[in-house]
Amino acid sequence: MNNSDFYIGWQAQAPASIARHIKRVIVLIVVSMVVIGLLLARSQKKFSTANFEFGSLTQVTGFYFNKPVPSIKAEQGTDRFGNKTYVTIPLVGFGKFGAEGVMDILEKEQGTSLNQKELTLKGTLLYNDGKLLMQIDENDKPLISVGKMADITSIPVQKELGTVMLRGEIVDPKCFFGVMKPGEGKVHKDCAIRCILGGIPPVLRVQNEKGEANYYLLVGPQGEKMNEAVKDLVAEPVEIEARAVQQGDWIILYAGKEKMKQISKRELFFPELQVVACITNCSK
Amino acid sequence: MSVSYSAIGWNRQKRIYDWMIFSCSLLYLIIFISIMAITNPDYTFETALIRSTATLAVIILHIILSIGPLARINKKFLPLLYNRRHLGVTMFFIAAIHGGFSIFQFHGLSNTNPFVSLFTSNTTFGSVSQFPFQALGFFALMIFFLMAITSHDFWLHTLSPKTWKTLHMFVYLAYALIVMHVMLGVIQYETHPLFVILISLGAVSLITLHLISGLKEVKMDNLSFDAAREGVVFVSDVNAFEEGRAKIFCIDKERIAVYLHDGKLYAINNVCKHQGGPLGEGKIIDGCITCPWHGYQYLPHNGQSPPPFKEKVSTYIVKVNEGKVYINPIPLAEGTETNGVMIN
Repeated sequence: MNNSDFYIGWQAQAPASIARHIKRVIVLIVVSMVVIGLLLARSQKKFSTANFEFGSLTQVTGFYFNKPVPSIKAEQGTDRFGNKTYVTIPLVGFGKFGAEGVMDILEKEQGTSLNQKELTLKGTLLYNDGKLLMQIDENDKPLISVGKMADITSIPVQKELGTVMLRGEIVDPKCFFGVMKPGEGKVHKDCAIRCILGGIPPVLRVQNEKGEANYYLLVGPQGEKMNEAVKDLVAEPVEIEARAVQQGDWIILYAGKEKMKQISKRELFFPELQVVACITNCSK
Repeated sequence: MSVSYSAIGWNRQKRIYDWMIFSCSLLYLIIFISIMAITNPDYTFETALIRSTATLAVIILHIILSIGPLARINKKFLPLLYNRRHLGVTMFFIAAIHGGFSIFQFHGLSNTNPFVSLFTSNTTFGSVSQFPFQALGFFALMIFFLMAITSHDFWLHTLSPKTWKTLHMFVYLAYALIVMHVMLGVIQYETHPLFVILISLGAVSLITLHLISGLKEVKMDNLSFDAAREGVVFVSDVNAFEEGRAKIFCIDKERIAVYLHDGKLYAINNVCKHQGGPLGEGKIIDGCITCPWHGYQYLPHNGQSPPPFKEKVSTYIVKVNEGKVYINPIPLAEGTETNGVMIN
């Protein structure tokens, strides 16, 4: 560096050697940023195909059940024997809240319990991997009409599947099935905890070695809410021993907290260690 | 260097610098989001925004932390240092978009205040893999915030250069928090090795640069000088000096810059009153010793900034005897007039 090679920003012009050097550095920075941006953007995990129909309200008619989790059983068609088939649509509230709050308000407005009644509800659909949920928001005036009581006999009965041991991850279904991408794993852990503590029912996601997954609604042994109890297990690899009951297109796990434990990622991801991957046919 | 404070003392270099920051940042965000949209069609814009701003802020932070040691290793990097604070403030704004949007996304619209939720949702502090990484990012963002709002000479003078410098040295703590934020966050989720490779490469590069520049300075500081003779210390031969430039000597842990100006040698304290820049690495411009970092100026014969500026540094007595240069290492009061000494 010779004597003329000195430049301070308030001087009008930099010496040629310094200007040349800085130009080279800037080119290097720009090229590096472009390359790093390209690589980072391309190297991320693939996003799920989940959908949240944000801004679009859909009317759904079906029978409302407040247990084991608030949901609507909507008629889907008939099976090959001519029996009606139903799709179960768990309900969630706006933001990081469950649907109980909104349903309580609606029941107060109606002055009666809405449980097992045919309702037409207006809300925002979210869906992924064969599961459909609906967000109901008090501000959307979600209750369109109240109809007859459900004919319980026409709705598929519960089917006991026995005691099962499952390994998977507890997710909040609202984010996982549509609102957020990613809606699982470490990066989403805080949000999942906040959603579940807000009343959104926890769901156990169990994946087999092919990447196929089944989903299980998680409640206590007597059907009570387990939201607080599972807080420290959300977004972690867990093993759960539970009584499994099929209710239509969802399987409900009835499990006490003492039957849930955290396991290592290795135990979760190595198929030979998987006790049960999917107790029914996987959805994909 | 200004007498009164203005939000930004614009000049040509700052305009070019800021346009480069703006253009590069915008280019990066466009490329990142576009590639994400093309290769990951099921993406959501919220996630794209969170990730693009996060990665951009980390890249800029690496550039910021590289400039200091690079400028010490090679003076040609100094123009990047001149306006580095604008780069820092930009980085804070980008990080704030990432942090603010993440807090809203992951903690907003819930039954708990988002800032309370940030510290109470995930409380597995005892686990490495499940550690609540978001809190680490929050603390780093707070440090960047304090640095950004004090990135002005008004605060430098109000807080005193020493306090200001101490505060801004917290950038290294913030950097460590960011590395942990990334390692315990996204790297626990993503499976591609690129993420861990890049963050490790960044950390290793920064440590290496700081070590190289630090060792260079230590080597210079460790040069030993002849024992004091009649209160003065022999430092160099006169022919080692170049007109308008200085040589730096570290005597009794004090760095002294000896400038040759108009055939005379002048010695002043090496530390600029602005941000502690090395005055001995500057140059005489318009008859003033000019700090290489931000261009603060001092008169060689008295160490005072030319009026109306008020900064002043210590001066020293220099002697020349039989072609050898001697310094009395006892500093004179800041701004004390000296006559300098002719070298011929």
